[in-house]
Amino acid sequence: MDFNAAEEEEFGFSRNYFLAKEMGSSGKKSARKLSDINVVDEQELREASANIEPKHQNDVADLINSYKSLYPKWVFDLRCGFGLLMYGFGSKKSLIEDFASTALAEHSVVVINGYLQSINIKQVIIALAEILWEQLKLKRKVSSGSLPKVQQPFSSRSMDDLLVFLDGPEMDEKDSFICVVVNNIDGPGLRDTETQQYLARLASCSYIRVVASIDHVNAPLLWDKKMVHAQFNWYWYHVPTFAPYKVEGLFLPLILAHGSSKQSAKTALIVLQSLTPNAQSVFRILAEYQLSHPDDEGMAIDNLYSISRERFLVSSQVTLNAHLTEFKDHELVKTKRHSDGQDCLYIPLTKEGLEKLLSEIS
Amino acid sequence: MEFVDDLLTFEELGKHLKYQGCHVANLSSLDFTAKNGVGGCLRSLLRQFLMSSLDPADISILASWYREENCNNPVVVIIDDIERCCGSVLSDFILMLSEWVIKIPVILIMGVATTLDAPRNILPSNALRCLCPFEFTLGTPAERMDAVVEAVLVKPCSGFIIGHKVAVFMRNYFVSQDGTLTSFIRALKIACTQHFYTEPLSVILLEFASEEDNLVFEIERHGLSPEVIWKHVFEFPSCQRVKLNKLTSESLAHAFSELKRLQNQWRAVVLCLYVTGKGEKVRLLDLFCEAIDPESYNQGEFDTNMKAEKDPVLSSSQIKGHVICKAVRLVRDLSTAQLGKLLKMWENLTVGIPEINGKVKELLSLLNVEDGKSSKKDLTVTPRRHTSRIQLNIEKDSKSLSDKAANLIECMVRDYMHPTECIPFHEIFCFKDVDKLQLALIGDPRRGIQVDLLEFQKLLCCRCCTSSSNALLPSMHDTSIMYKLAQEHGDLINLHDWYQSFKSIVLCPNSKRKPRQSPLPKKRKGIKEAESQSEASIQARFCRAVTELQITGLLRMPSKRRPDFAQRVAFGL
Repeated sequence: MDFNAAEEEEFGFSRNYFLAKEMGSSGKKSARKLSDINVVDEQELREASANIEPKHQNDVADLINSYKSLYPKWVFDLRCGFGLLMYGFGSKKSLIEDFASTALAEHSVVVINGYLQSINIKQVIIALAEILWEQLKLKRKVSSGSLPKVQQPFSSRSMDDLLVFLDGPEMDEKDSFICVVVNNIDGPGLRDTETQQYLARLASCSYIRVVASIDHVNAPLLWDKKMVHAQFNWYWYHVPTFAPYKVEGLFLPLILAHGSSKQSAKTALIVLQSLTPNAQSVFRILAEYQLSHPDDEGMAIDNLYSISRERFLVSSQVTLNAHLTEFKDHELVKTKRHSDGQDCLYIPLTKEGLEKLLSEIS
Repeated sequence: MEFVDDLLTFEELGKHLKYQGCHVANLSSLDFTAKNGVGGCLRSLLRQFLMSSLDPADISILASWYREENCNNPVVVIIDDIERCCGSVLSDFILMLSEWVIKIPVILIMGVATTLDAPRNILPSNALRCLCPFEFTLGTPAERMDAVVEAVLVKPCSGFIIGHKVAVFMRNYFVSQDGTLTSFIRALKIACTQHFYTEPLSVILLEFASEEDNLVFEIERHGLSPEVIWKHVFEFPSCQRVKLNKLTSESLAHAFSELKRLQNQWRAVVLCLYVTGKGEKVRLLDLFCEAIDPESYNQGEFDTNMKAEKDPVLSSSQIKGHVICKAVRLVRDLSTAQLGKLLKMWENLTVGIPEINGKVKELLSLLNVEDGKSSKKDLTVTPRRHTSRIQLNIEKDSKSLSDKAANLIECMVRDYMHPTECIPFHEIFCFKDVDKLQLALIGDPRRGIQVDLLEFQKLLCCRCCTSSSNALLPSMHDTSIMYKLAQEHGDLINLHDWYQSFKSIVLCPNSKRKPRQSPLPKKRKGIKEAESQSEASIQARFCRAVTELQITGLLRMPSKRRPDFAQRVAFGL
């Protein structure tokens, strides 16, 4: 690409950004709400979601098959010491795993599913160390003198020790490396800096090669220049598959399912019903205030105390505080700092939810 | 533009010091976290020096090790990213080292400071007091780059060479993106992998680089039959231009030796230009990019550029090949002594090219004669009147010499500097696919994923989705439809409206069909069921498409503050 064309494109991006911002602020903001959509029953929605017929099945299959001709090149790149980074729209899980099972059949492969919510990276590294140990034993590279007689089990060693072991003396050409396949290296379970640093150090080990996929547009922000050039040594491949994100989207809530707001109203009701009548009445005062003063940031604690005392619901500040603590623990009530410095309370529910709640507890 | 390649600098420094016999340990900011405290970095030091990790890590162990080693070799600890280290841990470490300095003297090498007062910002004064700083100046990165370019791309190294567009791309990438030698070398390695993988005849590169004469025999030794080779070679654009008539072993061998000869000539001229311009900071990478430009050579632009150089109106950077012109111009301004040195260097560099070497020797002898004349004149006593005239004569003579030298180098550039891309069979040795290199080196997911969504027809090649206008068809991929619809909104997308537009696109062909009023209640119920089912599936598809956009990061989900709007993160092409 010409240097100037690249600059023009950069300019185009920023132009679009400003145009969009302008359009957003100048035009009339649509007042329609999400709740205006007649959402079908959640169960039905989930069933329909599971039964969506994928479009362009043949074309997608053809596209994925066309990538098979790249497999030998990928193996070549791995042997040259590069890490492969696949990007493009569509789930690349089946593509990468097919590559690993066909072209990397002689190598050991460990798969990390980065789309899971949390991943224990230490377990992964322990597993890798164990595989390498088996591999070395098989090749009889381990002479009796080089390692301590009593081998400390891998699970009790520190991360640094394990990484040093994996980055052993220079690997021969004939040695087979261990391939680590990371689906969604930018996934929620792997996004924190510490995990990325460990993955980078892992990738720089002589016995390890990494094949990873990313889906997020901002994934490159995860790495600094040392990680990109020296440790991961990424070789980028654009492989859009248009395959549906079935497994990657499992943990994300459906936008029309009204999950969060309905859930919190339900839990609020359950919690309230388990409280004492006095506590419920205190809550009612707060709710009524919030409904009648929709523009206020919340109700001041002093105000709540005086009204509660008037109605003989609480005898002292201590009792009120006990009730408030209980509300806060169950996330029924939240505090905010008022503009004049006082703390005020508010209930994090919508107006409709609150009205419904009040009608239910009376 | 000066950039610091700290990665490579510290790595090479460590290697060099180890080679000299020092004990070297590398620490990074990961060893100086608040979580692990001083114990973390001590443990790392113990692991690197003693090859074992002991718990608890204590500096006395290190001291006893040093005593046992009984050597006078210094201990060097390199910390390559102090600005990311936890300041308190680093200062504790320094204080500890200063307490033990008699038992185990340590030299600390710290980097990289991005501001002048970086140490003062990170460390408290008591730690700073313990440090005894020394300043060193290393060779500049530009010099390193020149050395790398000279060794790898100019001098015969592996036979592998890059094309003009690739070189320009790599130089621009170095200057505008990363600025580190590490990334430059990495780009070169990627170019190598791509070339060796795609060009089957690249197996002969190693033999070509060595002085093998029987190259064709070597090719056949690799198991390639001559017919296959010739068929492959015939398809090279460079061979088609030249119109080779009969391709026999001999003609192939002749072509290869011709290629080698031309490359050697090119090499000599480039190195001559480089040594000429070295004093005036002419960078070899810039020179290299100009020297391998096939267009400038083919269009004889060099001559026009030399004339244009003399035009003061045009700025030097506008002229193609201005670095070469600058180098040539420098020759004219040299004094006799400097010219002599330069000519000697040229003589050494052009040893393999008798035509040029002869001319250089001629000039050198002329210079020596002049020198002899001028020294003789110094010895004889001359009246003052004549001195000035003699001075003028000497100056005139040396001027004409430097003119001659400038003409010589111009002639060398014009006649002997054939860029590799102009020579037949260069495709075996020369990597030219800059687009492929760029894609592999700099992935651009932000742009790539959006292009995938907006122009998916190019990839899926389906017949159902081709439309002459940019209209949205219901057969298109759901996420593509949704993303295209999203472009019509500002930075906030109203979810309700978005859903309605998605629904209308998806139901488009069915909208004309109205449900017929059926007298039978069963049938009506059936239609209603079908409608509600399709409503459920449309909603499910909407949800799934939004989830997919969320996974790609193109959309920010509604928050509690604005539950009815999703926010666009990327703004399209």
